[in-house]
Amino acid sequence: MSISINEEKNRICRHGSLELAEHWALALSGLVLLLSGLFELPMAARYKITMIPGFAWSGDFIASLMIHYVASVVFVAAAFFHLFYHGLLHDRGLIPKKGDLKASIAVIKTFFGKGEEPPFDKYLPEQRLAYLGMAAIFAVIIITGLIKTYKNVYAPDLSHTLILWSTWLHNIFFVLFIMAFAGHIGAILLKPNRPMVRGIFTGAVRLDYARHRHPLWLSCADTPASVPLVALAADTPPLVETEAIVVADTKAGASDGSCAPAGQNTIVPKEKEE
Amino acid sequence: METKINLTRRRFLKSVTAAAMIGTAGALSVPRTAEAGEGKLATIIDLTKCNGCVDRERPACITACKTIKTGRIPEPVDPIPLPFPTRKIEDWSKKKEVGSRLTPYNLIYVQKAEVDIGSDKKTVFIPRRCMHCDNPACATLCPFAANHKFENGAVVIDQEACFGGAKCKTVCPWEIPQRQSGVGVYLKVLPTLMGNGVMVKCDLCSDRLKEGKTPACIEACPQKAMSIGPRSEIYAKAEELTKRIGGYLYGKSENGGTSTLYVSPVPFDRLDAVIRKGPGEPGLGAVKRRMAGTDTMGKAVLAAPAIGIAAGVAGAFALVSKRKDRIKKEE
Repeated sequence: MSISINEEKNRICRHGSLELAEHWALALSGLVLLLSGLFELPMAARYKITMIPGFAWSGDFIASLMIHYVASVVFVAAAFFHLFYHGLLHDRGLIPKKGDLKASIAVIKTFFGKGEEPPFDKYLPEQRLAYLGMAAIFAVIIITGLIKTYKNVYAPDLSHTLILWSTWLHNIFFVLFIMAFAGHIGAILLKPNRPMVRGIFTGAVRLDYARHRHPLWLSCADTPASVPLVALAADTPPLVETEAIVVADTKAGASDGSCAPAGQNTIVPKEKEE
Repeated sequence: METKINLTRRRFLKSVTAAAMIGTAGALSVPRTAEAGEGKLATIIDLTKCNGCVDRERPACITACKTIKTGRIPEPVDPIPLPFPTRKIEDWSKKKEVGSRLTPYNLIYVQKAEVDIGSDKKTVFIPRRCMHCDNPACATLCPFAANHKFENGAVVIDQEACFGGAKCKTVCPWEIPQRQSGVGVYLKVLPTLMGNGVMVKCDLCSDRLKEGKTPACIEACPQKAMSIGPRSEIYAKAEELTKRIGGYLYGKSENGGTSTLYVSPVPFDRLDAVIRKGPGEPGLGAVKRRMAGTDTMGKAVLAAPAIGIAAGVAGAFALVSKRKDRIKKEE
């Protein structure tokens, strides 16, 4: 792992291409699942959503089930990929740490002008807690969704108790998913968090922002386990060695302007570079 | 559904005579009781026997069903909340006596089909109720699991949990479930915005099956036109009967298979052509299971965890081995 920085362009790479692909696979399929899941309720015809151009399918429960299934394949496969790929590579940057709850409360207070933000690692404490919450919601939705799908395809007479639990947990966590999604969008609308938005589209964020708000991330060489990945953003030109605080692994291709997968780069302590 | 339609008067009479003889013997051998309702059950409705109870004010099956189901639906609130934005309710509470179609208060009725057989007209009576499909979309797609198919084959709506959204009716190829507005749990949630009553349909007298009794309609039939028993036996009997009378079978493959088999001396598409169809009056045409089109993708969903795990493990090991190779080269 290493951090890739382009001083000239004032950019630091926050997410690799693989992470971006995972995020957007989950986000886009998740959105389709939310929408097609809503249309599994008998509401589209009642509320005339079927009249909206392009939404005639919303009143057809079998068509929306098909769309739900297609999105589920992407969502479930991406979730399991994420779990096993990063689990095996011991990428733990988003796993909550001791004291995150207390720190999160302190950070939230700063949004209302109370106190000052502490120095952050790559991820904010509330991001780590949100990740855990989102993971729990995904886990319940996926497990119950798989049970419901198995029932639809193979066993309509599955235990009624199991079906009741699966259905209601799926419904309840579907609502929590909507709330979590709203919270996720709400968080990036907060002024201090806005510079991070660029990162989830391009992979890179402003270097001055990172230095100001995420100094612990930039000093990752001292705490390597806390930084799971940084590679070059797709839009970042090749690094010039003299510009870099930490140089990406040149043999792994990270320094040629491409985004390397998690864990592909070796850690080069800042001190050594200097 | 069988599709052969070369029906002649002679063949029809032959079928009916054969059916009468077989039916008498069959009535002795096909169990009319459900053996305590355990195991997979199925029913035969023998149209060669049903005479529509023309000598009675109303067919016995309807009377028995109405009697046993009386009071199952509580009185709706007054006034019934008007759902937004459709402002349409379905209130059968003041028409409980209707027996000429399916309603929330009438879960079985008898269709009448007059078919030309050569120069003669033949009248066929067809008791209609829920088919209790093998893989019923009405149950599997219920968003609240209020509708469920049980191991014995009965598809049952829990009126305490149903919101009356009528999704089950929409996805049923025969549109069997019927709605009564103004009753049910939706009144306690958002009565004008979500739900619109409860859906009601035949539950194969599940309560009676648990007690080892037969469904009320079967027990009441004076012609013994209906039977219930272990699915494998009923299926074998229905096929045997169909073969021996040179008749036709409906329900074996319709909507992916059902627990209700109709045996008729007249092709079902001919019956379908002449029966009255409309709301609460289902047809008898060929019906494919629409959800079958989603099964392949459903199987892909079930395979998705394995795909994700395989990709994740392969990706991680590829990266680790790449790293090791690089370290070796550097050494």
